[in-house]
Amino acid sequence: MKKLSHLYLLIVIVLLYFPILYLMFYSFNSAGNMSSFDSFTLEHYISVFTNQRLIVIIINTLAVALISSAAAVLIGLGGALFMYNVKNSTRRILLSINNIMIVSPDVIIGASLLILFTLAGISLGSVSVVLAHIAFSVPIVVLMILPKLYNMNHSLVDAARDLGADYKTIILKVIIPYINPGIIAGFFMALTYSLDDFAVTFFVTGSGFSVLSVEIYAMARRGISLEINAVSTLIFLFVFALVFIYYLLSTHKQLKKEKVL
Amino acid sequence: MTVIKLHNITQSYDENKILHNINYTFENSKFYTILGPSGCGKTTILKLIGGFIHPTGGEIFFENKKMNNVDANKRKVNTVFQDYALFPHLNVYDNIAFGLRVKKTCKKLLDDKVHEVLKLTNLMEYKYRDISELSGGQRQRVAIARAVVNEPDILLLDEPLSALDQKLRVDMQYELKEMQKRLGIIFIFVTHDQEEALALSDEIIVMQKGEIVQAGTPKDIYDEPLNRYVADFIGESNIVRGTMVKDKKVDIYNRTYACIDGGILPGTPVDVMIRPEDIYIVDHNLGKLNVTVDSALFRGVHYEICCIDEDGYEWVLHSTKNAEIGSRVALNFNAEDIHIMIPGEDEDEFNERLESFQEDQ
Amino acid sequence: MRRLLAVPYFIWMLVFVITPLLLMAGYSFLDFSGNITLNNYAEFFSGNYIKMTVSSFWYAFLITIFTLLVSYPLALAVRMTSNKTMWLLIIILPTWINLLLKTYAFIGIFGRNGVVNGIAGWLNIGGFQLLFSDAAFIIVSVYIFMPFMLLPVFNAIDDIDNNLLNAARDLGASRTEVLFKVIMPLSVEGVKTGVQVVFIPSLSLFMITRLITGNKVITLGTAIEQQFLTNENWGMGSTIGVFLILMMLIVMIFTGGSSKKRVNKI
Repeated sequence: MKKLSHLYLLIVIVLLYFPILYLMFYSFNSAGNMSSFDSFTLEHYISVFTNQRLIVIIINTLAVALISSAAAVLIGLGGALFMYNVKNSTRRILLSINNIMIVSPDVIIGASLLILFTLAGISLGSVSVVLAHIAFSVPIVVLMILPKLYNMNHSLVDAARDLGADYKTIILKVIIPYINPGIIAGFFMALTYSLDDFAVTFFVTGSGFSVLSVEIYAMARRGISLEINAVSTLIFLFVFALVFIYYLLSTHKQLKKEKVL
Repeated sequence: MTVIKLHNITQSYDENKILHNINYTFENSKFYTILGPSGCGKTTILKLIGGFIHPTGGEIFFENKKMNNVDANKRKVNTVFQDYALFPHLNVYDNIAFGLRVKKTCKKLLDDKVHEVLKLTNLMEYKYRDISELSGGQRQRVAIARAVVNEPDILLLDEPLSALDQKLRVDMQYELKEMQKRLGIIFIFVTHDQEEALALSDEIIVMQKGEIVQAGTPKDIYDEPLNRYVADFIGESNIVRGTMVKDKKVDIYNRTYACIDGGILPGTPVDVMIRPEDIYIVDHNLGKLNVTVDSALFRGVHYEICCIDEDGYEWVLHSTKNAEIGSRVALNFNAEDIHIMIPGEDEDEFNERLESFQEDQ
Repeated sequence: MRRLLAVPYFIWMLVFVITPLLLMAGYSFLDFSGNITLNNYAEFFSGNYIKMTVSSFWYAFLITIFTLLVSYPLALAVRMTSNKTMWLLIIILPTWINLLLKTYAFIGIFGRNGVVNGIAGWLNIGGFQLLFSDAAFIIVSVYIFMPFMLLPVFNAIDDIDNNLLNAARDLGASRTEVLFKVIMPLSVEGVKTGVQVVFIPSLSLFMITRLITGNKVITLGTAIEQQFLTNENWGMGSTIGVFLILMMLIVMIFTGGSSKKRVNKI
């Protein structure tokens, strides 16, 4: 039974990684296709690094992600703090509105924002993309912060009041330090959503501004281009490194905690 | 001279009345305990005094100044929370210094004060520890230190010992009592543990369903409980139904016993209480009541012995000597150990009756 | 002070959540030149769009079922490992790769000269065209959505106290009985959440259909994209959008109440 389940686990993982490894493998193919490997080459990587348009797009992507996530954290934090101490019924209403954005399909968010931006006279480009990314990141940030707030024992706030703190001090000295992990998680979650987004951006971007996912879609629709393979290999290595570091840090922290206890 | 006066305080949440008409005055440098089961409103009283909630009716005075709507951060009252509520992101020193820093105390003075309470609470060696590295008892001390460093006039303690194990609890009881004497401020302690209340307090306030049932010194409340509820809550007791025959004579299960209470109309149904430690075993036929020993439990300092009398009623007594199960013995008790309570009598009526009866004597 | 801090949030929700959706609903009553009309709805019910909606629903249903069939045993398998976090992380890791890249990989794999055809040819059943087929669409979608189904299901299964399973065994239940009578009922909430997070996107994703099936499979999402960006008929696009939102609401009612749980688990 146990063996069988391990076998299944392994098979699924192999299948999960196969397409990614497949992409990476052919990124070194000099034949220029994804079916017959001719000989090893780095030419696709070189062409990625010399493709100025692509580099601008990568910078755009990162800038959009960082700016929108930071803004979303600021806006969402205010919302979460407000929701933390309202009546249950009020909060339920606010949370459902908040959740609309989370469960709405990307096409709906994209199309409806396209209508909004057009009517409001906001030209489609960097501004509209950043606004759209903030729009779908804010609810995520709220949802990442709220559980942390609820985890916080309310007597901590009472204790701070008891010791003479006013609301500003309570927020800065007690609540924010406590929910900090939630704020960071919210920021990274927003970052992930932003980097991962294709559909919303596809709707609200104009001809002059592009991010990586939109660019990849455009390239892929034209057919196979091993430059995409090279880019995805780089992205994968980057993500893998980040996650690996995160994993090491978190297990290290846990070990340290256990040692103390 | 610090006095807190609660005048006709009522408190409701939505439709629920949590407190009805509370009137009480807390006086300087005494240790008060508010005692009652969960949901009786005892914590609500603390929250009102602490300023975390504001009364829906009535008035709170601190030294004759009305404080109804003064917020918690503006009162010279500090609280030790049930779960301690220590800030997990700050170490021991910074937790204690929190209140002083909020008040922008100068660095030197702050350091002196923090060290003083660290010494007072025996926490010197833990001063830079993280909260997560402390044991329950140590956290408890930090919570107290954090409150008293602000030199409050009143310290509120919300079941602060409930999370500790038995041994530590008793140790902390001594420390609390000691600390209260040294600081000379009002301690208001909330608990549902009657032993804690008896051991610590100068005054005990017994609560039931949002009302004060009886207040007085531990001895008063133990010896002269107002009614069945208080008698049951404070200590163990045999409570049986009886009828007053005349002054100093009470009828229990169709036998008449001498007692010392009076001022009650003959024929009044009463509750009669006898503490288990006031009953002792004598040989068969030599006591007031012949019984058979039904069970005996060793409780450490005493045996808890349960006996059945000839009419089938159960009596519990405490004795340092064991009794053989099934043996036929007799029970004895003194007239002054029989305590008479009139169901439905409130505290004022009770006191009035006692006074008038004593004057008659 | 607390209210002041929340002002940006409320403005944001009003402008970027509520207004756009209302605008979309409003646009569904506008024709190509901006006149108020019910034609879009009439057209929607005239046949083609209904057929498209049904087929979109059917694909989403298949994708959800297959995703669940793959994920549920996987969640059980992960629970049985000694290092759950690590295995979970390994399974979740590919979700950080943009789904377009993963979809793109399948263009290569399923292509005429790709691996799948290569293996099929070697087994002498070759020569068929997987790319541009609806089977390919379903396989790629299952591949992409699997981790999103796995997470809530795993959380639900992992939450089950080991002692409950021991107790069931102790009371004489066989392994299969434990699975069907204890584990499955206790993980229903996780499955509901999983269905929610897979079904709705499978109704609406348009890039997978475009890249993998050409224009063979049309989902609600594909149709909306087409109307908005190619035909520039926002009215019709909005009408389809309104129906997509309705579908979403139906799914949420059926799988309701679980979204809050999901949040706490992240």
